Amino acid sequence: MNLYLPCLYPKYSRYISFVLLLFCFSQAIGQNRTVTGKITDETGKPVPGVSIVVKSTTTGTISNAEGAYNLSAPENATLVFSSVSYETQEIAINKRSIINISLLPSSKILNEVVVVGYGTQSKRAVTGAVASINNKQFQDRSFSNVAQSLAGQVAGVNISQAQGAPGSSPFIKIRGVSSITAGTNPLLVVDGVPLENFNLNMINPQDIESVEVLKDASSAAIYGSRGSSGVVIVTTKLGKAGKPSVSVNLEYGSQKVARQIEMMDAQQFIRTYVDAKNNAWIAAGGKATDGNALRPTLLKIPEDFLTNPQQFGAGTNWQDVMFRTAPMYNGQISVSGGTEKTQYMFSGAYLDQTAILDMNYYKRLALRSNVKTMVTDKLTIGLNLGVTSIFDRTEGTKGKSDVISLGLQSNPHFPVYNENGNLGYRDPNSTWFRFTAFGDMNLWHPYSLTREVDKGTKSFNTLGTAYLEYNILKNLKFRTSLSGNLFNTRNHFYWNDKQKYGYSAVLAAQANAGNSYMFNWLSENTLTYDKQIGDHSLTGLIGYTSQKQRDETMYVAANNFPNDLVHTLNAGTVTAGNTTASEWSLLSYIARLQYNFNNRYFLTGTIRRDGMSRFGDNNKWGYFPSVSAGWLISDEAFMSSLKNINNLKLRVSYGVTGNNQIPNYGAVSLLAASNYVYGSTMNNGLRVSSIANPNLKWEKTNMFNLGLDVGILNNRISGSVEFYNSLTRDMLLFVPVPDITGFSSQLTNIGKMRNRGIELNISTKNTVGEFKWTTDFNFSRNRNKVLQLGSGNAPIQYVDNVVTVRTEVGQPVSNFYGYIFDGVFKNQAEVDAYPHHASTTPGDPKVRDVNGDGKITDADRTIIGNNQPDFIAGMTNTFTYKGFDLSFMLQGSYGGEIANNNIRYLGTWDNGRNFYASMYNYWRSESDPGDGIHFKPNVSYQGLQKQFSSYWVSDASFLRMKNIRVSYAIPSKLLSKMNMKSARVYVNAENVFILSKYKDGYDPENTTYGTTSYSSSMETSGSYTSGNAPVPGAFQGVDYGSYPLPRVITVGVKVDF
Amino acid sequence: MNKFKHILAVCLTGMVMSSCSDSFLQLAPVSNPNAGNFFKTKADFDLASNAAYATLYTIYNPEGPVSYTGELMGDNVTILNISGNMADKWQFRDYTLAPANTMVYQFWQDFYRSLYNINIVLDKIETADVDAAYKDKVKGEMMFLRSLYYFQMVQIWGEIPLVTKPITAEESYGVLRSPVTEVYAQIVKDLQFAASKLPLASAAGAGKVSKGAAQALLGKVYLTMGDKTNAATALKEVVNSGQYQLLPSYATLWDAKTKNTKESIFEIQYLGGSSTAPFSDYYLGFFPNSNALGFYGSGMNQVVDDTWNEYETGDARRVASIDTGFTDAKGTFTKVKFPKKWQDKTAPIIGQRIAANNNFMVLRYADVLLLLTEATGDAQYLNQVRKRAGVPEFGTAAYPSKYSTIEAATEHERRVELAFEFQRWFDLKRTNRALTVLAAKGKSVSQAKLLIPIPNVVRDQNGKITQNAGY
Repeated sequence: MNLYLPCLYPKYSRYISFVLLLFCFSQAIGQNRTVTGKITDETGKPVPGVSIVVKSTTTGTISNAEGAYNLSAPENATLVFSSVSYETQEIAINKRSIINISLLPSSKILNEVVVVGYGTQSKRAVTGAVASINNKQFQDRSFSNVAQSLAGQVAGVNISQAQGAPGSSPFIKIRGVSSITAGTNPLLVVDGVPLENFNLNMINPQDIESVEVLKDASSAAIYGSRGSSGVVIVTTKLGKAGKPSVSVNLEYGSQKVARQIEMMDAQQFIRTYVDAKNNAWIAAGGKATDGNALRPTLLKIPEDFLTNPQQFGAGTNWQDVMFRTAPMYNGQISVSGGTEKTQYMFSGAYLDQTAILDMNYYKRLALRSNVKTMVTDKLTIGLNLGVTSIFDRTEGTKGKSDVISLGLQSNPHFPVYNENGNLGYRDPNSTWFRFTAFGDMNLWHPYSLTREVDKGTKSFNTLGTAYLEYNILKNLKFRTSLSGNLFNTRNHFYWNDKQKYGYSAVLAAQANAGNSYMFNWLSENTLTYDKQIGDHSLTGLIGYTSQKQRDETMYVAANNFPNDLVHTLNAGTVTAGNTTASEWSLLSYIARLQYNFNNRYFLTGTIRRDGMSRFGDNNKWGYFPSVSAGWLISDEAFMSSLKNINNLKLRVSYGVTGNNQIPNYGAVSLLAASNYVYGSTMNNGLRVSSIANPNLKWEKTNMFNLGLDVGILNNRISGSVEFYNSLTRDMLLFVPVPDITGFSSQLTNIGKMRNRGIELNISTKNTVGEFKWTTDFNFSRNRNKVLQLGSGNAPIQYVDNVVTVRTEVGQPVSNFYGYIFDGVFKNQAEVDAYPHHASTTPGDPKVRDVNGDGKITDADRTIIGNNQPDFIAGMTNTFTYKGFDLSFMLQGSYGGEIANNNIRYLGTWDNGRNFYASMYNYWRSESDPGDGIHFKPNVSYQGLQKQFSSYWVSDASFLRMKNIRVSYAIPSKLLSKMNMKSARVYVNAENVFILSKYKDGYDPENTTYGTTSYSSSMETSGSYTSGNAPVPGAFQGVDYGSYPLPRVITVGVKVDF
Repeated sequence: MNKFKHILAVCLTGMVMSSCSDSFLQLAPVSNPNAGNFFKTKADFDLASNAAYATLYTIYNPEGPVSYTGELMGDNVTILNISGNMADKWQFRDYTLAPANTMVYQFWQDFYRSLYNINIVLDKIETADVDAAYKDKVKGEMMFLRSLYYFQMVQIWGEIPLVTKPITAEESYGVLRSPVTEVYAQIVKDLQFAASKLPLASAAGAGKVSKGAAQALLGKVYLTMGDKTNAATALKEVVNSGQYQLLPSYATLWDAKTKNTKESIFEIQYLGGSSTAPFSDYYLGFFPNSNALGFYGSGMNQVVDDTWNEYETGDARRVASIDTGFTDAKGTFTKVKFPKKWQDKTAPIIGQRIAANNNFMVLRYADVLLLLTEATGDAQYLNQVRKRAGVPEFGTAAYPSKYSTIEAATEHERRVELAFEFQRWFDLKRTNRALTVLAAKGKSVSQAKLLIPIPNVVRDQNGKITQNAGY
């Protein structure tokens, strides 16, 4: 209705308007007047470019650079204020002539720009499953790696911190496990450059504008053979036209072990040690009171343990020795700005982090320069350059034989320093030397590995992208870019002679040095065509890219050092050295067509053709197509009556992606050196070390995705729900093959696996106005099921020392597989009443007869857990009042299990290593049966206590107060005097507390084994960092000694000039 | 027009770049040789057969399958404190082996990986363009190694899958356990070929398989099969070949510098002194599990008193074979008995390991002589061995009366002469004495337990593979 009748008939205006109001619910009516005002954002900064329109007319204006506007409108009209990034507001003029308003940031984010592969899209046009996280969601967080800040914030993305060491990258799993033995790391794309196994620590998080996660196959298909595990796109900042903006940020933090593992003290240890020996001696027919003279070597007990154990007191807590409260400092400065034609952003950041582990540190200098300039109307060029150097010393993350694990295993009765100031009992001039007579005394003094070792790593990374964009025609744009990523890392190691007798052996000085180099270049060429014909809009993209990477490693070792004065290798005799190199190359053709009608119906189709050196000659090339559609239902006319629904969009997509994360030369039959001596000369030999597979091809994942975006009640409640179903086939499996072939496994395309899940995101604005409270909640559930495996569907089973993981049809990947322990046999009657292993006596574990055949055999092994959670969820609550901001984030994971491989050392007798305190309540006698869970220690293991069983498996569910942030923005009145645009002070706390049943390890997220990623060094040396796991990715959720996640509290100040 | 030129230029650039695509994607391994163009020339086969010989390092490792069965399952030795997963290792000593035992599976892998390295040479050389004499020699060597391994395996596991050429994973599911007789038939066939084609020891070259080695092994195989006639024939050919003799001194035989002597028939070759050549790990492997002397002993095959006592008074072979303890840095002497035969006193310690120079004799003349007595009942061969050891000959008055029969005398003589050379358990099994002797030493052994279990992993992968009766 747009009636100006009252102007014509003023006398009757009241009546007429009354009638009109009754029948037409029309707007108020009034005379024209000039309205002026100023538009600001929530912080009081002027907002230019806001469109101000008189409602239901075409009359309107736009706010100027100072946010001011001026227009003429009927005095009873309503003004509509709208801007891309702000909430639209409607304000009745109500006869006023000055209307100042403050705009709230838009939550109706349909017009926000989202980075997708090879371009950007408005949120409105997104038809796949893309999560976009902007800088606001990770600013102030103290992590060196942006991915760590995303944990718990994105539905469908499980980010877990396997190791708590500074600079330790988290594992990112997008929508479950996409492969059994090939790599499962998502592809990282930094400013358009796809990088495999890139360390995100190389990008300073505060340089990052946004992170986009491409979750479904249709969005990831444009990355073809590398999209199966999802894609994480990181985009760095660029300045905006306007005055230069200088931003300074200083931070101080303190880190501390959140919780120590409770180990036995000296008294508890001695009693357990003595019991273990006596139990074995009694089983062998002896008496507990028999002296050492009667006992075999293995069962002798140090006299001190029997005569005067009190002399050792509580002993040493080795965790107190190796851990400390550690400070961290972080400072950064950035300058950004530009003109209409040129924009820039320069930044420098320095992080100096002392680690909680003795002698360990992490220092990072990150420099960045992003520049873009329009040379002519048609030609734009730009260069993004990031240079990062990291100096660090990081230990304790490599599991069973690294400092932290060895510290836990060390006997508590030994002192930190002996009477000579040395570290260990192997000091021949110490009274502690008496313990060398016993082969089962253990001391790997943490200092013998930290203070007696001079080591460190220096890494340098340069990532640069130069690009040129040329508008050939009005609608046709050509873009070409050349990127290079150069990474160099070198490490040195020197171990002092004798280590002050603190190590398990007295070793001569030794040293080594290593260097690795990686260079990756990428050339991309694309043509983009845009066309708008009436209500039809069309965007097309074709492109061609080529990429190549070379890795090189070098290693030199030396010994025979005259003394400890010089730590470089020239002082000793070089005893070993080698160099290796490895390469891959990739060629791709890409095409995409995006169409929309009326900005309401969207259709996208993509295809990529990839060819890669890694694959067999018969299958070098693969095609990866996708199609997706979106329907913005809320823009339909029939929806206009439903005022409470602000946004309703249905998305459906289907696509094919691939996985190329296999060894560079997996298709080739390799030879390895195997030399033999005849007489006194060594002769070279070569053996076949792997079988050729010229048919080796891409692992392919077909994924269907259905999504619904909803915004209701003026966008007070918004959210989305996604359902997906993906089928991975031709899986690249290192299929264990019968050993009679001469090989244990062969890389083969075989088998099928399904991942199916739902994701839910809900954001609510619980209160608006001056006091704001928002809640962001996300929930994801993924069901993983293996549908088909190799020949005869034979289960795939891997064993690392004890822990056994098994993948079989009908089950999720990598089940833990072993016996079930039903507590402890309390007396002989219980033993007699139940099937048991022949050697079982009261106090030994009761192993469940799973198959009920009345015998305990290896057929009684069964599924005893899986690390994949039933669901994960995260919730962030944010409270804002005036300048104050408070937010806290809860993160949870439910239904997964963790296997503690350290039970082998610390949860059962193992050659005299220390024990978990939790074990102390073990079975001692029929009248003192303990907690019914922990069996009696025994030097000669009885029954199946050293076999993998439920005794080793814990619930890995947890609820973590991941983060609490408080910040205060200093009022602009105060700032303007100091020439500051804005200033904030904040306190940030990470890993505040955790509720978990996993107590014999540091954290239920700990995993000692990396995700499977085939780096060149692994291929050539054949060695893995921890244990002997043939496929580390299959051992996710196995803790074989880990670095605790520290609790970190930082305070910081951020000032913009 | 100008605009179209631009488009044309861009398209052309794209096409030029794509035309070189095939070569761009063909990347050969930089740091690994690849098998694509291997197995062509004589030099290739030299390299491949050297690698096949190198599998001896695995099979006869001090902690390898032959050591674990040949000694630890016998009565010569024990293990106390040993590096690694002790429970699994004790199971051999205690006859409590479980199919899940990781060592059993390791040994299974060791044998079949080694066999692959042999079979691939035999397979590829058949069609290779190399001269016939060379081909026969390489085939003979490979067949000897193959029969040596199958001979150990058939004694350890009984029925085993018999693989005589490279097979694919698919094919492997159809290869089940062959009857013991078939395995022996293959062994005999291989050894007969080797004996007919290989040169005499004097012409074979140090460390290489000779005609005599094939004949000696064939004799032992026949004896194990219970065919004493054929065994005697084969063994006598070794004796009559004039290639071999006993060294005058037993002690000299074990000198680290004494290698490939006239007594040696087949000897695994090591080279001490550096970490770059394969050095000898036997002394280290058998040294108690301690690092008191700057190197880390593994604690394998610790000598029991029963073995010490088996030696007759005055038998110098005892001190040549058994070490009685060691002195640590502080001067404290630890009394413990362990094998001494492979000690290299001048070897350097490199990275906590002794880079020793000692070879390991798989077959030696004394062994052949004792087997010959076993096959024929003729004491003359046994007495040659005793004479060299300086102990009274069988049949003389001074000979210990407790070994009154030639069988008992041979059993005793083999135990002391060949102590710790991975012979004992196989000797006891061959002579059907294992149950009696081992039970008397307190081992809970049964006939069925004299074969070790098929690893459960093997049966998990292929359900058609059967398990041995004792498990």
